[in-house]
Amino acid sequence: MIRLENIDTYYGTSHVIQGLSLHVEAGAAVSILGRNGVGKTTTLRSIMGLTPPKAGKVFINGLPVRGWPPHRIAGLGVAYVPAERHIFPDLTVEENLKLAEARSDQPGAWTLERVYEYFPVLGERRRSGGTKLSGGEQQMLAIGRALMGNPSIMLLDEPSQGLSPILVAKVAQIVSELCKEHGITLLLVEQNFRIALAMAGRHYLMGTKSKIQGEVSSAEIIKDQELIKRTLAV
Amino acid sequence: MGWIATTVDIILNSLVLGGIFLIMGVGLNIIYGLNRVMNLAHGALYALGAYFGYTLVAVGANYFLALLLAPIVVGAVGLIIERVLISPMRKRHMIYTLILTYGLMFVIDGLIKLFWGQETRFIQLPEFMQHTVSVGPASYPVFRLVILIGIAAVVTALMLLLGRTRLGINMRAASSIPEMVSACGINVRRVQISAFVLGCILAGTAGMLAGPLFTVFALMGHDILISSFVVVVIGGLGSLRGAVLAALLVGFVQTLAEFFVTEMAMVMVYMLMALVLVFKPLGILGEGKFE
Repeated sequence: MIRLENIDTYYGTSHVIQGLSLHVEAGAAVSILGRNGVGKTTTLRSIMGLTPPKAGKVFINGLPVRGWPPHRIAGLGVAYVPAERHIFPDLTVEENLKLAEARSDQPGAWTLERVYEYFPVLGERRRSGGTKLSGGEQQMLAIGRALMGNPSIMLLDEPSQGLSPILVAKVAQIVSELCKEHGITLLLVEQNFRIALAMAGRHYLMGTKSKIQGEVSSAEIIKDQELIKRTLAV
Repeated sequence: MGWIATTVDIILNSLVLGGIFLIMGVGLNIIYGLNRVMNLAHGALYALGAYFGYTLVAVGANYFLALLLAPIVVGAVGLIIERVLISPMRKRHMIYTLILTYGLMFVIDGLIKLFWGQETRFIQLPEFMQHTVSVGPASYPVFRLVILIGIAAVVTALMLLLGRTRLGINMRAASSIPEMVSACGINVRRVQISAFVLGCILAGTAGMLAGPLFTVFALMGHDILISSFVVVVIGGLGSLRGAVLAALLVGFVQTLAEFFVTEMAMVMVYMLMALVLVFKPLGILGEGKFE
């Protein structure tokens, strides 16, 4: 469960997020749709503690976590997949995964073998340098790395960035199934509403300075595409 | 001495000198790569390692025991330096820690003179290391061979640490994208501190290995600091493999130059640096990923 109450986040001196509130129920898949530069990425970074909000409240599974360092937030089961993937260039595929391994004895914990089962291509290329992979493979590696931390919440930033439409559809399908199957709460940010529709059931429409302009279900988007075009129009 | 013997002599000396540079240069690079701190006190820590080792041997420890213990003490000093001096400066521009470690160099130099005095010290070596041994047609001092083996052991241990351990993986990851390391659930500050301490341990080790070669004196860290910078610049800032290659190259050039044009030895090293920078401004393996 994620809940933001009236948070303010600055990026340097620019006040990117102004009084943002939103919530994601446990097990739900929710998207934030908005144009470039409205603060979608900063929202995820605020939750992760990478760009901590200056004011407001951030709750993860009911715990107030504003001001916690990112590794402690990750320790609560929050995984982050940045739009740039941020694959470690000096590490092999396997080392990228191992790094994020949460040493846990709980049954059903993610292991290298299970990630390789899901993404066979990562197993085949386990000894390759992480950034030697293609864009799609790097996206899978970033998702696999997120899984290694046994997340209950996944923050996914623009999975479509830099991928071909076919690959995007594939990644979207894999992630959706994964989250459903393992009860992972998904918060996705996107510019592309088709991907958001494919992955999430509820959508926040975000305008300039992170202002929430509406909250709609997938059904409403399908019914009224003009609404989306207005929000996402440049 | 025939030319074959001379060649063997030059090669072994190059490896010894290059090995010392390597341990210093890699240490500087590890500290810089993870902390964005250019540690100007690195040479002073090297001297400190030699002096701790000297004292340990003087109070009865074996050279090899001192070789293990002295770097650990230097590592402890490094931990205190990181916690008390470097850590409060980490959000600031790199220039702050540059000046800070520059001042620290003089403080450590001064403390060394205060505790150990001005006169040159000699580390007492075990009996067997005081002989020479035949290496092919050349006869070579045993202690230099032992130091060469010591360097090889340090490099192997370092490769295993960086290549095989979790700390090593974390360090390599944090040298490029530290915030992603923390988003993966790792306390990246702890990794950065470990890297600083590891660099200091390496400086102490280099000092303890170099002590018997160059004798132990208060300003012994100054020349080596300059040479280590040359190694880091030639290899490429932040590149460990580059530092290894550059260290061996500089060791070889300096040894050759000392043999043929003694007075010009350091000049040759700087010329090598200039030459490399003309063709590879970021160093041999520099990627320019550090600003």
